[in-house]
Amino acid sequence: MKKFIQRFYMGLIFLFLYAPIVTLLVLSFNSSKTRAKWGGFTGQWYVSLFQNTEIMQALYNTLLIAVLAALIATVIGTMGALGINHMRRRSRAFFNGLNNVPILNGEIVIGISLMLLFLACRMTLGFTTILLAHITFCIPYVILSVMPKLKQVNKSTYEAALDLGASPIRAFFLVVFPDILPGVLSGFLMAFTLSLDDFIITYFTKGPGVDTLSTKIYSEVRKGIKPEMYALSTLMFVTVLALLLIVNLSPSEEKLLQGSGNGKKNLLSPRRRRLIFGRVIPAALAAVILVGGFYYGSKTRLDSDNQVIVYNWGEYIDPEVLDLFEEETGIQVVYEEFETNEMMYPKIKAGAVAYDVVCPSDYMISKMIDNDLLAPLNWDNIPNASNIGDMYYRTSQQFDPGNLYSVPYCWGTVGILYNKTMVDEPVDSWEILWESKYRDSILMQDSVRDSFGVALKYLGHSLNSTNIKELTDAQQLLITQKPLVQAYVIDQVRDKMISGEAALGVIYSGEAIYTQRENPDLEYVIPKEGSNVWIDSWVIPKNAPHQENAEAFINFLCRPDIALMNFEYITYSTPNEAARELIQDEDIRDSHIAFPDEAELANCETFTYLGSQVDATYNDLWKKVKSS
Amino acid sequence: MKNKSRFLAAPFTVWAVGFTIIPLLIVIYYAFTDNETGGFTLSNLAEISSPENMKALALALLLSVVSTAICLILAYPLAMILAQKSVNQTSFIVLIFILPMWMNFLLRTLAWQTLLEKNGVINSVLSFLHLPALEIINTPGAIILGMVYNFLPFMVLPIYNVMIKIDKDVVNAARDLGANPLQTLTRILIPLSLPGIISGITMVFIPSLTTFVISSMLGGSKILLIGNVIEQEFQQTNNYHVGSGLSLVLMLFILFSMAVTAKYDKDGEGSLF
Repeated sequence: MKKFIQRFYMGLIFLFLYAPIVTLLVLSFNSSKTRAKWGGFTGQWYVSLFQNTEIMQALYNTLLIAVLAALIATVIGTMGALGINHMRRRSRAFFNGLNNVPILNGEIVIGISLMLLFLACRMTLGFTTILLAHITFCIPYVILSVMPKLKQVNKSTYEAALDLGASPIRAFFLVVFPDILPGVLSGFLMAFTLSLDDFIITYFTKGPGVDTLSTKIYSEVRKGIKPEMYALSTLMFVTVLALLLIVNLSPSEEKLLQGSGNGKKNLLSPRRRRLIFGRVIPAALAAVILVGGFYYGSKTRLDSDNQVIVYNWGEYIDPEVLDLFEEETGIQVVYEEFETNEMMYPKIKAGAVAYDVVCPSDYMISKMIDNDLLAPLNWDNIPNASNIGDMYYRTSQQFDPGNLYSVPYCWGTVGILYNKTMVDEPVDSWEILWESKYRDSILMQDSVRDSFGVALKYLGHSLNSTNIKELTDAQQLLITQKPLVQAYVIDQVRDKMISGEAALGVIYSGEAIYTQRENPDLEYVIPKEGSNVWIDSWVIPKNAPHQENAEAFINFLCRPDIALMNFEYITYSTPNEAARELIQDEDIRDSHIAFPDEAELANCETFTYLGSQVDATYNDLWKKVKSS
Repeated sequence: MKNKSRFLAAPFTVWAVGFTIIPLLIVIYYAFTDNETGGFTLSNLAEISSPENMKALALALLLSVVSTAICLILAYPLAMILAQKSVNQTSFIVLIFILPMWMNFLLRTLAWQTLLEKNGVINSVLSFLHLPALEIINTPGAIILGMVYNFLPFMVLPIYNVMIKIDKDVVNAARDLGANPLQTLTRILIPLSLPGIISGITMVFIPSLTTFVISSMLGGSKILLIGNVIEQEFQQTNNYHVGSGLSLVLMLFILFSMAVTAKYDKDGEGSLF
């Protein structure tokens, strides 16, 4: 009975630990691109995985950083442990304390403190900074794992070796080292695993163009993870599991040992096992990294003179377009993504990383112009810019007077996406987002201006209001709405609306076409009170190292066939009139969602930059909403 | 030889000073200087007293204490069971706890979203069995679950490692002398395994207190913890000074709670290995 309870309990814990893993495993065979629904069994992601250079590059970075960080940390840590062990009691306590500091700090503090250090040293955030950070947080774990083994070492054998004429170094490697080896190996393994799994520290210390699997996944979270990612993690997991099983279940040696019937010898087997485990995995990984290194090293040699560093919204370009651009111009694209304007701005402002071409929204562009962060465009280098409709240049004047800095890339509206099977009444007003019967079925945007825009419009104010009374009213309204809101999300609205998690969601018009394709029950409206009409445009920061390449890039994107490719991939409305003519599908070419006419946009406004003072007020009010 | 060996710690010392101590000093410098003027100020630290930051800190403390307690309650019996197994099996079982880490932390947390959602896997199973639905996603409950899930191995392993070192004869002696199972547990096992418990608490409490990923992924961005506030100061508001001030306050809380627990851990014996 007791045995049964024990087994049952372990089984439950096991289920708890492995349920998410099984979920990911299943998702890797899901033929539907969104995790929101099951589209049938497929193995295609395992094939396309190996063609996805971005993921493979991230995998390569992750493994390389993990191996290097674990190796260096093991060497420094083992030496450190030896040194500390030879110290007097008091200094030993001090150094042990020093070693515990990173563990006690919490990852977020390690991350930000190292980021501040690297910025203070004017180091470019990138591969090196991630590696240094990983070594830093791995060392303590190595020391912690070597130290107990050192305490068990019998000092007299070492002294005996010295007496018998061995040199100290020889004596150490012959006598002491074999005894502490298990500790060293498990320290290495622990460091390797932690480095592999780390997100927070990498997140703060990484720069553009360098991604580990963690940061790549984080940037994909908002849009929905690419199925190849599930396939990759399944492969990694299964590989390790298989290694583990082979090492643990190969009975031959153990049986021999057990045959001798000596209990003491039996104790050796886990150590030996760990040895094998510690050797097999590094060997396998070394092989993978070597092969991968040769393969991708030949492919992605960084030629710093002829590249363009692009900073764009997540999932906001057809990856094939980037390949075509590289092929035609020979300019190498370094591509980095952001999720909101507010996240992008500090990166540009800090200047720690120099981007060549960025795609912010209207109000952010005027903020960047105000802060003198943008370089005027040389229109002679962008002849294709004439394909963009005049109406869009006219709207652009609101934030870019004289059209000096920006070329429109995508535009659209903000509206309500609703599920016809869950909402019976007609939807034509923002009011429905305050309807208590939709409690827990409403998705709001997790962005200051978008959320306040909704509330301000509902109250009949301008969404560029700077009137503190109007703003606090809007804030109150958002606070009363909060209990009804299921979640504040950015691009996850897509998945959640497709799967029927929510009935109503505030969404960008560009997502409407995609979501309708996946779930025909969904409908998009621009509420009658009016809404936000926005334009995302390409701009070039003042500190851009490759301005001409950036202009070539913008010019390429304005080519009608390329703009069409992008439109079909991202489904956000294109301001490129020539490209719109090329759209085959009449329904889409004349779609009121993608291309609303002027009457429908009558009450809509673009956001304008309100100055840093008002910006701070907005942020402050929004923070209070979020924490209410 | 003895004197020279000490210098083996030199690279470690240099590294610790360069990449741990100096960065912390920079954080302290930022925390005490003004964003605009660069002059000395205490206002960054005072930010913590604003109602929303207080709430974020209090909630973070509450959730991390609860999840640490749950981890301890789940892990202790488990470590006891594991410690009884023969050595051959256990090294395998211990690896089973590290193995999930080979699937990315973010993906595992995201998988819980799929499991817990209103139309998620668990609710589909429940409705198939005609049981009431589980409405936990986007609540503090889901965040606690995420914390327990991610940090449970860090509680199990240190306790287990101390537990296997406990001499079985001591336990048997207690039984022989008439202690009932409960007494054996409270008078013998728990005191002897205390170092493991302490280091387990440290390893669970600190990451739970400082997390921002779990709360934003499983809390629907509706629930702000102190980690989220700090992350926003650095990555969105771009106010490194306030962010550093809040981090400093957070560190003080960690140091304080660790000082309390460290009183019980005399030799620092507990470890992950």
